[in-house]
Amino acid sequence: MKFIAILLLAVLLCSCGPGTRSAVVVAGSTSVQPYAEVLAEEYAKRYPGRDVDIQGGGSSAGIRAAQSGTADIGMSSRGLSGDELQMWSAEIARDGLAMIVHPNNALDSLTPEEVRAVYTGRVTNWGELGGPEGRIHVITREEGSGTRGAFEDMLMEGQMITLKAIVQNTNGSVRQLVSNDASSIGFISLGLVDDTVKALQLDGVEATGENVTNGSYMLFRPFIFVSEGEPDGSVMQFIEFTMSPEGQAILAGEGLVSSGEVARR
Amino acid sequence: MIFHGAVPESKLNGGSRMSGKSPNIKIKTKNLNLHYGTFHALGDVTMDIKERSITAIIGPSGCGKSTLLRVFNRMNDLIPSCRITGDVLLDGDSVYDKSTDVVELRKKVGMVFQKPNIFPMSIYDNIAIGPRRHGISRKSRLNEIVERSLTRVALWDEMKDSLNRPGLELPAGAQQRLCIARAVAVEPDVILMDESCSALDPESTMKVEELMLSLAEKYTIIIVTHNMEQARRVSDMSAFMMLNENRVGSLHEYGPTIELFTNPQSKVTEDYITGRFG
Amino acid sequence: MKNGFKDKLSERVFLALALSSISAIALITVFIVIQGAPIIGKVGLRDFIFGMTWAPSQGKFGIFPMIIGSLSVTLGAVVLGVPVGICGAVFLAEFAPAAVRNLFRPAIQLLAGIPSVVYGFWGLIFIVPFIRDNLGGPGLSILAGSIVLAIMILPTIITISEVQILALPRQYKEGALALGMTHWQAIYSVQLPAAKSGIVAAVVLGIGRAMGETMAVIMVLGNAPGIPTSILDPVRTLTTNIGIEMGYAAGDHRQALFATGIVLFVIIMILNITAQFITRKK
Repeated sequence: MKFIAILLLAVLLCSCGPGTRSAVVVAGSTSVQPYAEVLAEEYAKRYPGRDVDIQGGGSSAGIRAAQSGTADIGMSSRGLSGDELQMWSAEIARDGLAMIVHPNNALDSLTPEEVRAVYTGRVTNWGELGGPEGRIHVITREEGSGTRGAFEDMLMEGQMITLKAIVQNTNGSVRQLVSNDASSIGFISLGLVDDTVKALQLDGVEATGENVTNGSYMLFRPFIFVSEGEPDGSVMQFIEFTMSPEGQAILAGEGLVSSGEVARR
Repeated sequence: MIFHGAVPESKLNGGSRMSGKSPNIKIKTKNLNLHYGTFHALGDVTMDIKERSITAIIGPSGCGKSTLLRVFNRMNDLIPSCRITGDVLLDGDSVYDKSTDVVELRKKVGMVFQKPNIFPMSIYDNIAIGPRRHGISRKSRLNEIVERSLTRVALWDEMKDSLNRPGLELPAGAQQRLCIARAVAVEPDVILMDESCSALDPESTMKVEELMLSLAEKYTIIIVTHNMEQARRVSDMSAFMMLNENRVGSLHEYGPTIELFTNPQSKVTEDYITGRFG
Repeated sequence: MKNGFKDKLSERVFLALALSSISAIALITVFIVIQGAPIIGKVGLRDFIFGMTWAPSQGKFGIFPMIIGSLSVTLGAVVLGVPVGICGAVFLAEFAPAAVRNLFRPAIQLLAGIPSVVYGFWGLIFIVPFIRDNLGGPGLSILAGSIVLAIMILPTIITISEVQILALPRQYKEGALALGMTHWQAIYSVQLPAAKSGIVAAVVLGIGRAMGETMAVIMVLGNAPGIPTSILDPVRTLTTNIGIEMGYAAGDHRQALFATGIVLFVIIMILNITAQFITRKK
């Protein structure tokens, strides 16, 4: 009882005391959110007292929040367009997607058109893609997933993924299924590809971090921090932490690819 | 154990039933002993049961009457610890022989229980279920059996229009008669009745007793009863059982009902049937 | 006086506890309806329930494939699980020697205590590859879900059915045997019909469990929101629709998942009412 009372008092003092700093508010893409949360956590560990508050809401909402000042930083998982280009922005990383198949699959490369045909359900047999006859088991992520959103944005051109596709709700379970089923195809974050599956080339370009960084592999999306005007103070400190080798290592550890760019106006 | 020498005339036109000859022995037990585990329930029961007659087993509670009755259709088999020695013969064949088919035995030796145990199904199905399980599937044949069985227990006129009603809706007396009809439908030789009137009102009891008498024309009937008057009214032979000096259920006196009730040979029998104990 | 007061007090306490549990259920119901009703109003009840396309990102909210999914997987579980369950109950109640019974009973109780995710994982590791390799298709299928659910509903069906059979008056069995029936004939023609209402209750409880199960089936069903054409097709149930998409859903999508919950709620209510009606009618 006494303990709780002291605790309450302490909380009260902390929140009302003169030392109060408002946390940096970061809002936007739910795809970037989990990575930002890891960054914020490490950041808080490194620099106690500097709080970063990460919120979701989606890329567009995040950019709007940054424009209106509701958030210090907006997170976007799509390229900027229109008046958004006027904002200060930094590409913190790139999220590459790999099309994966079973290691024994005869195919090594597909074109984006072929992938689209498979995922819309127009092509249902590996034979039609130049492989041995056999039904294609299409695996996708669930509605609302950032990975699925990225895949749809980059490849589907507004067409719907077939309702017959198997739906899994983690990258891990997609990879697990593909590694077990010789007839399957799926997509996962590039950083999560391992030797239990085979990453397909797109238009003959290998799905590697380097090819994402140099832009030759097309299946990636940028993760962008935006701000209305040049950030400073605690906001800039967090962005600098993100762009530092340390921050980049954290993101690479989570499966993202370095954008190879530096902060720009 | 006391045996009476004379063989009685049957209560109901006995002469024609026995057709002048000395009646055949339907069931015979010799030195029958029954144990439940270490408990000695029946000791040295030796008795002959005559064909097409009614034999009443009487005696105080807990002396093994029902146990003895259940020896005849091997219902005691359900109790795993039950062990039997001695002879039990039905038509000269050993009931407890290894080669005896219990199912066949029970077809020959039907049973009516203390409480009416109508199955939760229609009146018709209650009667038809036995014959059906024994391989009769033709509807017309089953109809015939149902009608005949119900006629025999004097329920046909009452029930012919409500054969599809659940049997459990009937009053207890009618349920018990239905149980008898069900036993009869299998066409047994012997019908065992384990205190079958004890749950019934006097009027129903009377009807069942009438039924026993009429069934005895065709079947060998063995009843267990606590009701001395009933034993006296319906049975040809009476077997008085009680615990012996070792507290083992045994046959104390056995003979024609008239003699046993009018001239008991043993003081204990007399005391029991006159209601001095029990 | 003092005892009277104590009685009254404990009565009040029990009343309060009972009311709080009921109000918790009421609150959940109200919450689900408030969250889910708007999207049903927006899409239209008919289009929501009978709509064939589930594509929240395109504003299409039709859950008919999921209703078909739930029904087909549950039906499969019942077809596979109920006969096995009843046979198991009969075995335990009528045939098993005491030693076997004493081994099986706790084993079955244990089966009921295994977390559903373990069943799902087991299904994914053993059932799914088995179906894929021997029957074809991706393995993730109605069949895989039905098998896993059939095993999951076994404890419910076995335990309740066994109790029902054991609770029958001895006279039924004796009466049947006295008619010259074999043990087996006595069981199927008298004892099981006599225990029918209890067994039906067990089956309905099993159906309820199968309908409501999420975690295990998410892993083995494949969750494709299309109408299945074979038992080897992947399928999505109402529960897995919620389970798989709740993570990132927002706005209309989120409401549509709550609305899926409303439909599930109503189906299970109908089921329970039907069950009560059946048992009472008997």
